[in-house]
Amino acid sequence: MQVFLAQVINGLSLGSIYVLLVTGFNLLLLVAMIIHFAYPQVVVFSMYIAWVVLRYTNNSVPLAVLASVGASVAINLASAPLFQKIMKNREEVDINSTMVVSMGIGMIITDVLSHGFNKGLPISFPRQLVGDVALFRVGLISLLSGQVISLAVGVLAVSGVFLLLYKTRQGRAFRAIAEDPAGARLVGIPLLSTGLSSYALSGVLGGLIAVLLALMLGYASPGLGEQVAHKVLGVSIIAGLGNLPGGLVVGLALGILEALCQGYLPGSWSNAIAFVVLLVVILAKPRGLFGIKL
Amino acid sequence: MSLPLYYFLTVTAINILMSWALYLPYRVAHLHFLTVANMAISGYLGGWLVQGLGFSFWAALPIGLAVGGLIGWALSLFIGDAPTFAVVIVGFTFIYISRTVIENTPAVGSTMGMFGLPLVAGSPDAHRWALLALLYALVLVVGFLIHRFDHSRLGRAASAVFVDKDLATSFGVDIKKLGRLLQVFSSTLAGGCGVIYGFLYRSFHLDFFTFHLVGLFMTIIFVGGYATMWGVVVAAPALYGLTLLFPPAVASWRIVIYGAILVAVLVLKPEGFITRRLVLTIERLLSSKRKKIL
Repeated sequence: MQVFLAQVINGLSLGSIYVLLVTGFNLLLLVAMIIHFAYPQVVVFSMYIAWVVLRYTNNSVPLAVLASVGASVAINLASAPLFQKIMKNREEVDINSTMVVSMGIGMIITDVLSHGFNKGLPISFPRQLVGDVALFRVGLISLLSGQVISLAVGVLAVSGVFLLLYKTRQGRAFRAIAEDPAGARLVGIPLLSTGLSSYALSGVLGGLIAVLLALMLGYASPGLGEQVAHKVLGVSIIAGLGNLPGGLVVGLALGILEALCQGYLPGSWSNAIAFVVLLVVILAKPRGLFGIKL
Repeated sequence: MSLPLYYFLTVTAINILMSWALYLPYRVAHLHFLTVANMAISGYLGGWLVQGLGFSFWAALPIGLAVGGLIGWALSLFIGDAPTFAVVIVGFTFIYISRTVIENTPAVGSTMGMFGLPLVAGSPDAHRWALLALLYALVLVVGFLIHRFDHSRLGRAASAVFVDKDLATSFGVDIKKLGRLLQVFSSTLAGGCGVIYGFLYRSFHLDFFTFHLVGLFMTIIFVGGYATMWGVVVAAPALYGLTLLFPPAVASWRIVIYGAILVAVLVLKPEGFITRRLVLTIERLLSSKRKKIL
């Protein structure tokens, strides 16, 4: 029972990161109408930028957080014109072609990370900054600082995004575009600038996720982005593309499932089990459990 | 024949065949990355049959083809008419699952891989000529079949599905059946390519079947042109040869180069270099010349 509870706590903190990732991903899908497959790669790139800043500023955490958020926002905004151009070329929203462009961007980021940083070897964050201090321990159950921070920031960030979406003017504009782009344009909502603000917002989320992942994992590798990207797309599809509440439920569930697999199965199989479950659910319900919101 | 030329010719043939394996399901807007997983599964199985059970390469090859087709058929029952993003994520999850299974299977060398596979013909020279002849015979046969498909009623039905699924359904096209047919063909082809790929290097290693391979095939299709089979024929040697021309320091960045080319082509020339219109013009020119000669 103790192992079970400990792994559920682990799973909740990991799941909160998946939820954040899926929220940023869905935001871009709903408002900018792109499948930004490389979004997790952007997050991992931000982790690397944070690592570089930590190295050169004698472990200054505020600067690392700023750099991480800045890098994520900059990449998202820099890629926005590419996506806009493709959609203009096709004369209609083409989610498939934006997904392929995004995969191309992901290829570039992953290879730049494996050539340009630390000779392609995984990077590790300074031990004193990694959240592995136990705040509470009873038997096998322990609550690490990294888990508490990631859970708290995750809950705050997702609540913030939901508040923004459902209680503000900007959020109404986001939802209007998601519901009916042509109608939104008719009532005077600027599609381009609203779309760009969704890129910026998901960039801010991406920077925060990068810091949380660094806290939780303590390391990053060039291939991490690809692995996370596939899980995030999987979670989004299972939840129903663009379904924000669905993403919340499925993201947390995947985190708990993975943590339970790690607790009860040999390490190398836990990822495969998570992917088998993703595969089975996608095969059974290719349009998601909670319905596509596009 | 010099070794560099041999590898250029054989790898180009594999790239053409595998890109065709992606091209066919893309005719109905399916990015079927399951092909790379099939390549790995059938390849390793073929290697194990030859090295572990004493089968000849010529017996292992049809088994590899059949296993690839069988996996493709089983999954196509679920994703024959699934949306593109669901097909993409099924492919990716299958790559992860197959990699984990191979990593944990000592019979196929686990993470170390399989080495010292026997020659497919008597001497090293005969081995090379046999593989080269086999590969180009396959390119001719598969190319002929795809050409016939593209010019058949089924090919026109696939084009209709690509443009508008609802319209195609109203014309009486069975989208699921067509998707399944193309997925099974592509998986069978990938299975065969996997077996040959390993015997080309006389070894199997998981690094042969990474996401870089997915990126390479995707770049070949979209840069060459996804609307006709000829784009692949032009882009495969051009893209592979391009990196051979660079000095080693630059060539090691080939994934970044491929990614940049992919993004640039999708933004500037969304249909790729060999468009359907270009092929039709060339065909008309050739047929008018033929008439003059006659």
